[in-house]
Amino acid sequence: MKKIKLDITVNGVKHSLKVDPNLRLLDLLREELDLTGTKEGCGIGECGACTVILDGKAVNSCLILAGQCAGREIVTIEGLSDGEKLHPLQQAFLDHGAVQCGFCTPGMILSAAALLHANPAPTEDEIRVAISGNLCRCTGYTQIVEAVQAAAGKDKGDWWLQI
Amino acid sequence: MVPPVKDRDQGIGMTEYRYIGKRTPRVDARDKVTGKTVYSTDLYPDGMLRARVLRAAIPHGKILRLDVSRARKLPGVEAVLTHQDIPGHNGFGIVTPNWPVLCVDRVRYRGDALALVAAVDEETAEEALKLIEVEYEPLPIIDTPEEALAEGAVQIHRDGNIQHRMDIPPKGDVEKALAESEIVLSQTYRTQFMEHAYLETEGGVAIYDEKTGVITVWCGDQYPFRDQLQVARSLDWDPLKIRIIGSPTGGAFGGKDEISVQIHLALLAYRTRKPVRLHWSREESIVAGPKRHAMNSTFRIGAGKDGRLRGIDVQVVANTGAYDTIAGPVLNLALESSPGPYKYPHSRFRGLSVYTNSAMGGEFRGFGAPQVVFGLEQELDKLAGKLKLDPIELRLLNAVEQGDISALGHRLQTSAGIKDTLEAARKTDLWRRREEIKRDLAAAHPRLRFGVGVASEWHAVGLGVGLPDFANVTIGIGEDGGITLRTGAIEIGQGNLTAYAQILAEALECGIERITVIHGDTFACPDSGSVTASRSVLINGNAILNGVKKLQPLLVRVAARALDLPEENLAYGQGRVFSQIDNGRSLSLDELAARAAEFALPLQVTGAAVFATSDKDFGDGLPHNYYTYITQLALVGVDPETGEVEVRKVISIPEMGRAINLAGVEGQCEGGVVMGIGYTLYEKVAVEKGEFLTKGFSTYILPTTLDSPEQETVIVEKPEKSGPYGGKGVGEAPTVPVTPAVANAIHDAVGLRFTRLPITPEDIVAGLEGGER
Repeated sequence: MKKIKLDITVNGVKHSLKVDPNLRLLDLLREELDLTGTKEGCGIGECGACTVILDGKAVNSCLILAGQCAGREIVTIEGLSDGEKLHPLQQAFLDHGAVQCGFCTPGMILSAAALLHANPAPTEDEIRVAISGNLCRCTGYTQIVEAVQAAAGKDKGDWWLQI
Repeated sequence: MVPPVKDRDQGIGMTEYRYIGKRTPRVDARDKVTGKTVYSTDLYPDGMLRARVLRAAIPHGKILRLDVSRARKLPGVEAVLTHQDIPGHNGFGIVTPNWPVLCVDRVRYRGDALALVAAVDEETAEEALKLIEVEYEPLPIIDTPEEALAEGAVQIHRDGNIQHRMDIPPKGDVEKALAESEIVLSQTYRTQFMEHAYLETEGGVAIYDEKTGVITVWCGDQYPFRDQLQVARSLDWDPLKIRIIGSPTGGAFGGKDEISVQIHLALLAYRTRKPVRLHWSREESIVAGPKRHAMNSTFRIGAGKDGRLRGIDVQVVANTGAYDTIAGPVLNLALESSPGPYKYPHSRFRGLSVYTNSAMGGEFRGFGAPQVVFGLEQELDKLAGKLKLDPIELRLLNAVEQGDISALGHRLQTSAGIKDTLEAARKTDLWRRREEIKRDLAAAHPRLRFGVGVASEWHAVGLGVGLPDFANVTIGIGEDGGITLRTGAIEIGQGNLTAYAQILAEALECGIERITVIHGDTFACPDSGSVTASRSVLINGNAILNGVKKLQPLLVRVAARALDLPEENLAYGQGRVFSQIDNGRSLSLDELAARAAEFALPLQVTGAAVFATSDKDFGDGLPHNYYTYITQLALVGVDPETGEVEVRKVISIPEMGRAINLAGVEGQCEGGVVMGIGYTLYEKVAVEKGEFLTKGFSTYILPTTLDSPEQETVIVEKPEKSGPYGGKGVGEAPTVPVTPAVANAIHDAVGLRFTRLPITPEDIVAGLEGGER
């Protein structure tokens, strides 16, 4: 298979790559860029574990080809914290016990981050809708929703600009 | 200053704790929120091959021909293995290893494995699977125990279709008791196969090191030391040269206690001499992996007009699927759970576990209890209705206390707080003001009907009498004062590592940040048993406390040498060793660690613990000696037009001895509740004629944020003397009574009883149109 050229920005870092045209964004992140914080839970867009932020919007990276992301910006869970300083959502998930097995956590946090980016002060219903595509089997969601509510107050909405 | 004498009864008194019972943040949370946690499916070693498994194309049949020659010739394929390539025992299973690693001459369900492929990439591996030729002679397909037990039914195994039979020795004369009871209730309840649906499907990586002869398997699991033995048995390998790294795990809920990819990976890594990766697809996970058993449970319950229970007769028939894994103990625990935490002078419990060609029944959080408690707790509600008694009053009237003889006939030797949970439930606003709450809701939502329900459960903790139920840990203090706790236990999401660190920090009276927990690696940790049966906090906690009892004298010995004082004048307390004679000179843990290194005195101990067992032994692990007690309340809204049920609020009231981590207990309750709501209203692995109709999350419906109710957790503490700081365990119970609590709430709302799960909108609409189902 002839490889295609791909220029892509991930977590603020520009990459020039040659990739298979059928490579999923998920596999690019996990296998080529070693960003394994993005998880695969179903591979067909039903669980949300592979959620990343593409040009400010939460997307399922299992449903997007790497080639579709040419010239675009991606944020994964590894790009959310400012060095050792956690993003308010990450801190809130930690403080509110919103993490159990942790496998859904990166996708859940990124869906919430995309929400706060678009809507810095969401209602509980807006939060529940925004993360309803992210399945969690451990927590029952209560502590996750509380964490997002807590972070919404603290996030100044400028994290996106820092990347 | 001489430190105050610390409470020596493992914290049963009124001691104020620094860590126990607090909301200590999870030790693993920071890595999980930053994406740094490396799960076994996150490994991509250099030069790695991709593996795939050929599964049975039909649910039941003889294998007439299995030809892998074309697949082996495909460029890029490095190995294609069949049953002929298994050096040791071709089978696995927690109790009876009759589940084939690779089938020989027969397939018994759609998840059966026939061949393994390792290739340079996924596409080549997939292509190779298509080149494997299999010729079958189909056999009749058995979906249900009824079909399996019918006259002339095809025999799924040589020994027939009955996998396991359990008759608990009867107590008293239940037939006489039922004949003499003023009220007798009788009903059969039917439950479905349920999928664990952990977000991380089964997967991992194996590497064979030719120089050392060690095969390392990274695979999220629940008991690495059993996996080690099962892999060694199939490879005919020295178990000490099988390294299993099973932690962390992206969700397990019982479904990863059994072998999934471990033996397949080890076989391929050994054969190819290359790293091999295998990660099941979601569909493969649903089809091949174990499920919550479908069960039919028939209750006959007798009671007096005074509401006192006189006798209970329970018969359970489990659909166990094609192989054993741990089906016997699951059926047994269903029987033990079936009477609930109530007193009956007469009882009989009988069960049958039956092979079919349907989904594979296996271990799942709750372990047989959700299936029967769904029935029992509705029968008790019916009884309360007939007697015009408050459902909580009826339960309180019959509830056990510590020291009582259980329904099964054993003495309840450990803390038993079911009455406390019921009394707490009675005091909740939701229960006291339920009529008013329902009225207000109905006024605001005139289309809907509202109901409140209650249900309780006792849930066994530990494996049970006669089974090896232990844990070992090691505790070491390094030169820099850092403390390392090693346990074979797996972090499956429940937060056990944090509970262990809390227990160790509390016992050593030191800061938790100095503790590192190393876990789940057979080459780095001692055997701590399986992370199942709500057991790991109790037993690892006790092992830690026993270790600390050995560590403190070592620290005193170091201080004695450093301070040149007799050991008997020194004591450990507040994270230091104090002199009790010369005005309280003391050495801190850091100083002690440095001096120990200087003296070449290793600060390293092992701690071990074994479960105390019941005063009776009914065989096969029954009965248990520890129980979590729990009462749950549910508030539902039912739309009579659409049949939709909205669970609006659930209150969980667990008694788990003492809560080690408040946030952890709440997390277990909230997660268990939503899992239980899924079981009650949405989830069903649909299998017809052996074919799976639900293969992903568009057909197998899991609760989302939009289905999760408001929740409250009211923790009832009744510290258990023999548990760490009074703790027992809470992992499973919260997912159990929520189901009948919701069913009872639906009855309260619309007056219908449902005996089959899940309770679907169609069932409700049909029920409202045609009376009770």
